[in-house]
Amino acid sequence: MIPNPLRDPRDRRLPRVPEPCALVVFGITGDLARKKLLPAVYDLANRGLLPTNFALLGFARRDWDDQDFAELSRDAAREHARTPWREEVWEQLAADITFVQGSFDDDNAFDQLASTLADLEGSQGIGGNAAFYLSIPPAMFPVVLKQMQRTGMAESTPDRWRRVVVEKPFGEDLPSSRALNELVDSVFSADDVFRIDHYLGKETVQNLMALRFANTLFEPIWNGHHVDSVQITMAEDVGIGGRSQFYEKTGAARDVLQNHLLQLLALTAMEEPVEFSAEEIRTEKLKVLRAISVPEDKETFAVRGQYEQGWLAGQRAIGYRQEDGVDAKSKTETFAAVRLGVETRRWAGVPFYLRTGKRLPRRVTEIALSFKRAPHLPFADTDTEELGNNQLVVRVQPDEGVTLKFGSKVPGSVMEVRDVSMDFLYGEQFTESSPEAYERLLLDVLLGDATLFPRNAEVEASWAVIDPLEEFWAGTTPHPYRAGEWGPRAADEMLAAEGRRWRRP
Amino acid sequence: MTTLWDTNGTAVVKELAAQRRTGGAVLSGVALTLVVVADESRVTEAEEAATHAAEMHPCRILVVVRRQIEAPAPRLDAEVLIGGRLGPGEAVVMRMYGRLGLHAESVVLPLLAADAPVVAWWHAAPPERLAHDALAVFADRRITDSSIADDPLTALKTRATDYAPGDTDLAWTRSTAWRTILASSLDSVSGRRGEPVHVLSGRIEGDPANPTAQLMAGWLSTRCGCAIEVQEGGRKPGASGVDSVVLQLDQKEEVAIHADRKGGAVISQPYRPDTGVALPERALGDLLAEELRRLDTDEPYRDALEAATGVGGLADRSAVREHVWLDPAEEPNGSKPRKRAAAAKDSAGS
Repeated sequence: MIPNPLRDPRDRRLPRVPEPCALVVFGITGDLARKKLLPAVYDLANRGLLPTNFALLGFARRDWDDQDFAELSRDAAREHARTPWREEVWEQLAADITFVQGSFDDDNAFDQLASTLADLEGSQGIGGNAAFYLSIPPAMFPVVLKQMQRTGMAESTPDRWRRVVVEKPFGEDLPSSRALNELVDSVFSADDVFRIDHYLGKETVQNLMALRFANTLFEPIWNGHHVDSVQITMAEDVGIGGRSQFYEKTGAARDVLQNHLLQLLALTAMEEPVEFSAEEIRTEKLKVLRAISVPEDKETFAVRGQYEQGWLAGQRAIGYRQEDGVDAKSKTETFAAVRLGVETRRWAGVPFYLRTGKRLPRRVTEIALSFKRAPHLPFADTDTEELGNNQLVVRVQPDEGVTLKFGSKVPGSVMEVRDVSMDFLYGEQFTESSPEAYERLLLDVLLGDATLFPRNAEVEASWAVIDPLEEFWAGTTPHPYRAGEWGPRAADEMLAAEGRRWRRP
Repeated sequence: MTTLWDTNGTAVVKELAAQRRTGGAVLSGVALTLVVVADESRVTEAEEAATHAAEMHPCRILVVVRRQIEAPAPRLDAEVLIGGRLGPGEAVVMRMYGRLGLHAESVVLPLLAADAPVVAWWHAAPPERLAHDALAVFADRRITDSSIADDPLTALKTRATDYAPGDTDLAWTRSTAWRTILASSLDSVSGRRGEPVHVLSGRIEGDPANPTAQLMAGWLSTRCGCAIEVQEGGRKPGASGVDSVVLQLDQKEEVAIHADRKGGAVISQPYRPDTGVALPERALGDLLAEELRRLDTDEPYRDALEAATGVGGLADRSAVREHVWLDPAEEPNGSKPRKRAAAAKDSAGS
């Protein structure tokens, strides 16, 4: 940053505010843009975190004028904003919003977009800086990227930056993700590509690094000498909603395992980065992702499931194959569980059990480290019957916080030890007022801070883990489980095979 | 919620523990204890603000209201709340009568969350020397608000004379929004130029009697190395006391920011069209929450306070305060104690 007398490193009250810039959103009328992006932009404006010169450009096929668009974005922002609604803030922001109509293969529309953007450089004083948010299906990427290349919109020069934001899925296997990365990288330089994994924007995930690297208490036992196994769970109680078309092709492993769960695993297992910077953290994450080993016995240790009809939260839930737009003989999985290893000195021999699924009893994401049992217990066997493994659980959502589970004496005249848990909980309100993941990530894009974004090498390393599993699963039928259960029986057997069981989150 | 009439500190501690046990796991994990010293007339306002701040920084709230210091018999009334009016956390509102008010720490000390930082906030006239109040001595951070004094500039000067690292004033917090806009405006000038910016001179228009405006001027003066003063503006400014700021830069450029009195401000800068940004009036709770974010010494405030009041040597002050006993009744000829007793009477009477 260029010296500015008013900037003082000791002055931590002043927030980081991006340079003047434009945010161009492709697919502004889509669900994501309305529910997450527009509200996040409003929240940033409301918190005074947008640059003084800012422009938001929406691009979509719908035939709308600025008035319609202003109306839509206002409603969207108002409905989903996290911070209190202030009409005056919105009015100021609304003056910076422009809509360009056109389809992605229309050269004229893109020429118009380019000229609108050039106009804004002058009229809004954005100085040529722009971030392009591709809130569109990946199939559209090539067309849009080529259009941007053709119109010269994607070029970063010393005077201005141009960045692109891509949402998951980043491909559907290693070759396709490589092709996608090559395509994006051919238009934008690798440093200007921001891949959004909204899980990494969550407070608790960032707190995991604080927990591990700011304390002396946990790091000495954070290894295979003390840790017996690690369970990472991301459960959803909802079904596939209206996304059948997308989900049929994707499935749980590609949708969640490949990105969110492997990223959580990488953050849990990585070594301490040399410094807390984007480059160093990525280096360590990449090392872990590359060290992941896939089980030999996939029959036992890689389990797919698909929900059947059942009862969930007191309501009848239909099975996956009965959902709208789903093939009645679909072999797409809605549940995936796998045992992975991390082949490093720190983790050799420690199984990492990952699972994700839809229509499970509750929505919960957590990382649980289960510790080895004490090598010797001076108590009688009967005294410690109820004593389990010590556990450290990082709850990502909901009830963000940390739980420590350990043995404690049952009050009374006999010696009896049982598990109790000690909870650290961010106050309910605290988490509510902490920034929404999208808000944080969007701000980071505009600031050019890539700490919380996976790089293409990470994405490719993740696919290298998933591909052999998908290959093994291809053509097989997923194990059925009832909606409202914690997954198929085979998933329980997977842990039972090694004398363990899933923690009930 | 339980109200204990004519009680003692031990009973309050017991009641808080009892409520924690029966109330279940309402809130575990307390980052700090917030001690609020409020006048009876401002209790509601203070409670509201503390509740808001506690939503962002889980804390135990202890509200101390000193009443009728001259009352013959000391007396303590306390309300113990968990998950009630004062948010999801633990809170105790204590009203202290008579001489007990001079020994408030005897009730407060056992109620502090174990080994967590203590923040004391006076939503009342603070003592002339914070060391006169034992609550200030064990607090790690002390928050005052010069703007509520009858003569805010004298109050600000008093704070400078009494300053110790860890002190801060809400008049300073009110300047954050303005300062953010100023800093980012200069960012965009330096970004455009690709080289450093220098501020040659400048002026603030607004209310010269407003401590926030004075602190802003002090801050600008120390950061820019030139004297910048507050001039009486034509229009009546908002709570920050600032209506506009104009900075003369090198290369004959100028940046001007005017409040538009609709919760925004307009930035004028060279080569760029005028732009509007949000500059809302912030609620008291919001200001308090900002204060709780950081508990270490606020050096920029210290420098700004030094420049604004002309009181020097603040950087050399010791962070440790020792309690100075001051009894309003024992010093019949001292003017300060009497003032304090009068203030207590005023607040009690309202």
